[in-house]
Amino acid sequence: MPIMTYNSLFFVLFFTVLLIVYLIMPVRILKQIVILIGNFYFYKYAGGLNCMSVLIASTILIYGCSLWMERIYAGFEREAEGLSRKEQVPLLNSYKKKTKRVLFLGVFILLGVLIYVKVGKLLHFEEVARIRELSFKKIMIPLGLSYYTFSSIGYLADVYWRKAKPEHNFLTLLTCTTFFPTIVQGPIGRYDRLVQQFRELPKFSYERVCHGLQRMWWGFFKKSVIADRITPVTTAMFADVFSYAGVEMVLAVIGNVIAIYMDFSGCMDIVIGAAEALGVTLDENFRQPFFAKSAAEFWRRWHITLGTWFKDYVYMPIAMNPRFMKMTGNARKRFGARFGKVFSAAIPLMIVWILTGLWHGTGKDYLLWGFYWGVLIIIETAFDKELKAIPKKLHMRTETFGYALLQMIRTFIFFAIGRMITAVGVGRSVFLIFGQIFREKRLYTLFDGSLYSHGLDEKNFHVVLIGLAVVWLVDILSARFDVRKKIDEQPLVFRWVLYLALVMSVVIFGIYGKAYDAKAFVYGGF
Amino acid sequence: MKEKILEILSETYPEIDFESSDELVDDGTLDSLTVVGIISALSSEFDVELPYEEIIPENFNSVDAMAEVFEKYM
Repeated sequence: MPIMTYNSLFFVLFFTVLLIVYLIMPVRILKQIVILIGNFYFYKYAGGLNCMSVLIASTILIYGCSLWMERIYAGFEREAEGLSRKEQVPLLNSYKKKTKRVLFLGVFILLGVLIYVKVGKLLHFEEVARIRELSFKKIMIPLGLSYYTFSSIGYLADVYWRKAKPEHNFLTLLTCTTFFPTIVQGPIGRYDRLVQQFRELPKFSYERVCHGLQRMWWGFFKKSVIADRITPVTTAMFADVFSYAGVEMVLAVIGNVIAIYMDFSGCMDIVIGAAEALGVTLDENFRQPFFAKSAAEFWRRWHITLGTWFKDYVYMPIAMNPRFMKMTGNARKRFGARFGKVFSAAIPLMIVWILTGLWHGTGKDYLLWGFYWGVLIIIETAFDKELKAIPKKLHMRTETFGYALLQMIRTFIFFAIGRMITAVGVGRSVFLIFGQIFREKRLYTLFDGSLYSHGLDEKNFHVVLIGLAVVWLVDILSARFDVRKKIDEQPLVFRWVLYLALVMSVVIFGIYGKAYDAKAFVYGGF
Repeated sequence: MKEKILEILSETYPEIDFESSDELVDDGTLDSLTVVGIISALSSEFDVELPYEEIIPENFNSVDAMAEVFEKYM
């Protein structure tokens, strides 16, 4: 049974000890070793050492494949000397054919394991924790599998495209693939960039450590004060849709959307802050997503690293494929420029979104979820001009705050409907919830006190509202300037009162403890 | 070369001012959809097949950068 989660006391103690030992290490290599040992220790208590063998095996695989590809390309470098760029192209293509086999081998194995586990989950294969107990109908679910599989595929593809140089030091690569802040639920990092950072681990900086710790506590606040108050209530409500009034279901959907944002972005604050304190900069995964004015913009602000991964390794390779380009060229000639443009965007976008759905889960509900977002984003991109013309026809002033707010509310509704598709766990989930909302409105439940009888009493409800107001304020400020730098400029007393208030609010209002079982982060399950 | 590229791009994407910045991709003026369209238009115009590794933001941040990368393969 895993006991280490990012918001557990165990993790706080583990990280404190690790940070102190790390900071007193005099040289870079010792710092890196401390991190590697920390990674193993973390994984042992978060996912189990048995599952770690899968992670180590996949690291050996990408290490071997990347060096193999580098060796093949070395032949090209020798032959290409003295040739013009244009002459190099066919030569490079012939070498690429050879390296492609290695790439395919690596990707095939990595994806094979991921698909086996995902399909196994869908078919309810028996779950085991040990490799020797594995059989066809038994699966092991290694912690963070879908995250490190994606990073690994990206690494191999970058080496194949010669965008990244493979790492020759196995232990450095292993430090990256097992890096404890990213292993459970991302951000889906690029190993080549992470490797570079481990090679140049910086010296102690008070500012960086302080900023990292601030960000970690901010994450604890979002997760334990807000998300963990709401999630158990909405989960219970979705499990029993017909027992609640329509208006209560609306609140449950809104609450669930807020909770998942607080849960996931809170986790990202914890892990990005932890890495920052260690001197490693991770990619951001959120940029105030609910301030987005369209579905496409939302996905450039929500789970950014997943979107970037799909753009770089699925969307672009399909869109740039010479055969596909030829197809779109033909479509353009035959049916006009407009059709060609829509076709060239729609096909790769739909593939990306179906795969994004399947990445989140293998049920019909997730397939529908992917399709839903795909259609929304294709409509937005293909009919951009027409959509922009609507407010003009309605004589709406698009430059006002009111209009921007309307767009943000629309984004929230788009996301909420998306959540409803997967909330209950069956294909017709969204119809069940919508049905209940419209059939059993019962508005009076808002005022007769029954709202507070579903697991969140009046006091806790107010804690959530105040917490949300604080997060909203910080989000607004963060969109304008670096909040932590601004705090640095304040007088010492003010700063420490603020730090203390943050820590104490988590200690006093946070939901934690042994009896509480909803602690695990929602995105850890993917 | 630069003039030719500018001419093609202005025709295909009249709503975008390609000379407004040197960070067209980084500052969000060009999204991935538009970059794909640009590559498709320029590749067929100059009869060049751009290797995938050249498709990085730096090569599409300005018309100068685009001219440079396409010239390499002509």
